[in-house]
Amino acid sequence: MSAVIATRGLVKRYGRLRAVDGIDLDVRAGDVYGFLGANGSGKTTTVRMLLGLVLATSGDIELLGARTARARQRVLPRVGALIEGPASYGHLSGRENLALLDASGPGGSWRTRTRRIAAVLEQVGLGGVGRRPVKAYSLGMRQRLGLAGALLRRPDLLVLDEPTNGLDPQGISEIRALLIDLHRGGTTIFLSSHLLAEVEQLCSRVGVLDRGRLVLQDELATLTAPTGATVVVTPAPEQARALLDGRLTSVTGDRLVVRGSDPAEVNALLVRGGVPVTGLAIERPTLEEVVLARTAASPDRVEAHP
Amino acid sequence: MILVELRKTFRRPRTWATIAVLNALPVLVAVLLVLTDLAPRPGEGPPFLSAVLSNGTLYPLAALAIVLPLFLPIAVAVVAGDAIAGEAQAGTLRYLLARPAGRTRLLVAKLVAVLAFVLVTVLVVAAVGYVIGTTLFEAQPVAGGTSVSGTSLTPEEVAWRTLLAIGYVAVSMLGVAAFALFFSTLTDSPLGATMGALAVLVASSLLFTLDAASPLAPYLPTRYWLSFVDLFREPILWRDVTRGLALQGVYVGALLSAAWASFTTKDITS
Amino acid sequence: MGGVAAGGRGAVARWAVVAALVGALVALPSLIGALPAADEPVGAVELRAAVLASADVGFSGYAESAGGLALPVTEQLGSVADLFSDRTTMRVWWRGPADNRVDVVTAGGETGIRRDATGTWTWEYERATATRAVLGPLALPAPPDLLPSALGRRLLSEATEREVTRIGARRVAGRNALGLRLVPGQPASSVSHVDVWVDGGTGLPLQVQLFADAADRAAMDTRFLDLDLGTPAAATTAFAPPPGARVRSAQEAEVLLEAGRRIRTVPFPAQLAGLPRRTLQGVPPGIGLYGRGVTLLTVAPLPRRLASGLRTTLAQAPGAVVDGSSVRVAAGPVGLMVVDVPGQGPYVLTGTVTVDALATAAAEVPDLRPAP
Repeated sequence: MSAVIATRGLVKRYGRLRAVDGIDLDVRAGDVYGFLGANGSGKTTTVRMLLGLVLATSGDIELLGARTARARQRVLPRVGALIEGPASYGHLSGRENLALLDASGPGGSWRTRTRRIAAVLEQVGLGGVGRRPVKAYSLGMRQRLGLAGALLRRPDLLVLDEPTNGLDPQGISEIRALLIDLHRGGTTIFLSSHLLAEVEQLCSRVGVLDRGRLVLQDELATLTAPTGATVVVTPAPEQARALLDGRLTSVTGDRLVVRGSDPAEVNALLVRGGVPVTGLAIERPTLEEVVLARTAASPDRVEAHP
Repeated sequence: MILVELRKTFRRPRTWATIAVLNALPVLVAVLLVLTDLAPRPGEGPPFLSAVLSNGTLYPLAALAIVLPLFLPIAVAVVAGDAIAGEAQAGTLRYLLARPAGRTRLLVAKLVAVLAFVLVTVLVVAAVGYVIGTTLFEAQPVAGGTSVSGTSLTPEEVAWRTLLAIGYVAVSMLGVAAFALFFSTLTDSPLGATMGALAVLVASSLLFTLDAASPLAPYLPTRYWLSFVDLFREPILWRDVTRGLALQGVYVGALLSAAWASFTTKDITS
Repeated sequence: MGGVAAGGRGAVARWAVVAALVGALVALPSLIGALPAADEPVGAVELRAAVLASADVGFSGYAESAGGLALPVTEQLGSVADLFSDRTTMRVWWRGPADNRVDVVTAGGETGIRRDATGTWTWEYERATATRAVLGPLALPAPPDLLPSALGRRLLSEATEREVTRIGARRVAGRNALGLRLVPGQPASSVSHVDVWVDGGTGLPLQVQLFADAADRAAMDTRFLDLDLGTPAAATTAFAPPPGARVRSAQEAEVLLEAGRRIRTVPFPAQLAGLPRRTLQGVPPGIGLYGRGVTLLTVAPLPRRLASGLRTTLAQAPGAVVDGSSVRVAAGPVGLMVVDVPGQGPYVLTGTVTVDALATAAAEVPDLRPAP
């Protein structure tokens, strides 16, 4: 698989502060890449560097095969972006906003513009929005309009920064369905978020940023692969402990973690010993557990120095 | 891209509101002049205003002279200061640049839009001045007018000298626009960019009146603003007009290249 | 690769381009100003003769006079005081002493003075007024007198050969100008020297600088900024009042002469402060004129209402010497003194003489000595 986004030793320094500290991103075609990190971990700076808004201090970026800054400008029309919330001209309608944005750069023919705008507005659920100015839009509508702007040219790569901000639960699930649909159509999606659940539900690959460093980057399936243990829930943990002594790795209340990746075998053993089993599952780490294990305290905590 | 920026500028209600406010003052002055018939005393008040009472066709010039010291530069500074900083504040700048509208291209398009605004504004002020002047004031007893030097001018001469004066005022405003545009690339606050440009102009006007600053005087951006009056002397005094054009050219060139250097190497964090 | 890291280097390169451009633009005027001037082996006497013969040289140009003279006078003489203290810019078309045009250019208008064989037209744009003045024997100083050409000729006209020396050359109005220095020989003079910079080809003074005692800045500096040699078209200097203009005839000279006839005659000595008396046609006998060249002294009676205002103004001026019934002060090279002798009425003594010379002169006029 070819790299859609590849960075090597990417650094952004603001004075003494290294906002992004040597990261090597690897996003491949067909990925739904979840870019996770707490607020202030350098996510937004990284996204801005990918899109040519912030100039990197050092390191290399490859975007859709383009390696130089000039070449990246040429491939940007194939990238749709939603950067830190939507923005538009409040006194104009959504349609006019999209038309202006489309006309501002290459790669969007004016012949097809009206048709494309109608299509994306329909796609994000703003088909019937009419001519009212954007300043009369709700937060969720603006978010949808921003997404429409990103989709306007059927991009090969979607870079989305917190795309579900301001949306209600129905809206979130609508957008999720839309993204899944786009992904099926062959679009690579780079989703930057601090919401673990969102990433876990959507993404195939995950990168975790902590204080400017990429501490983790792997397939979600690998990260949350079975650990080789079985989780047993029983109202009689003492009995079970006696029976499974030596195989138990932890006991918390009525929840026991047992070495052995075959739940049927564990179940048979317990039932034979007369221990009632109310729950039985293969042990998998949650994404949250994986992330918390690899990252330090939230960077917006400011500890007092003794 | 240039069309996009022109559309943005002229579809804004604020643009037209600014132009309307700009025209309010000359209209008010004209009405007051007609009602009271009190011309300003010699050496006081804007140029051409005393001549207007006997020749309404000069009112476009008087109108320009009325708005030139303050209103016109403020309007230009507001629009030019908003060019980049306004997009930054609204957050649309990051979308434009990620679109990608190249930075140099965007700057050029903004510049052209500001130029168009300056030209439209000056033309509207002159046109409204002409309508007001010819309807409210008496026409000259003979066709044409009197030059500042006391010779007679044919209507054609008045017309083309007025056009030259409009062009000259527009070029004078380009300097203001260049300052505001440069500041606009430095800050994310359009108000800050506008104020910065106005501060430069206030400082320049102040230094111009100060004898101690006379070595600086030929380099002050406002130094030759009033030289459009020289176009109505007979023969035309080109000296200050050409110097004014050259000075504005230098300011515009230097500031725009600085704006380009600043904008193309800037991190967009808005 | 390295396209990203070019950000930092690119910024430096771009700002360097901008700095080079701005530097070149800023340096351009000073490079042009630094063009050297070539001196010519012309003697001082010869150069002075060339200046005096230059009245018929036709030219058109643009001149600026800057006076550092803050004359402490009252409002009645305001226009004259402004002439010496302000920066006056003038456009000139010169076909000859009796056919020329001088426009004093202001930001919003202009005052044009057209001279013809019989008098002058003065056009004031902002008043839309054309004033006709017939040539009279006496005239107040007017802007055309400040033109370097006119002032240079006037100041050099009465200079002796011993008083003038050559001083180098410089560029004025883009032309080679040969320097001529006039150091007045009279000890009473308050003028330390006058530098006249003369166009070598025509003898036209291009710049005149007048220096007061112990001053290194010119008290008065008038120079051409642009100069075109060649007689301008007659149509340029001609004038006909435009339609709609107010036309009137000048009264000021008449009023002045009328006042002069009425003032009482004072017996003036033949010499004051070492300066010989001189007569000028048209000057009433009640006014005493003394001196020669740049060193001049005038003694005249003053109307009483004018005198009190002038006394107060003078007394408030910096460096004023109040001595019993008299006040005297120096404003650059111009000395002013008001004497009010009981029973005699107030007198004013003024001219380009030192304050001490004024006091000496006042003591030498018999009528101005305080009654014993």
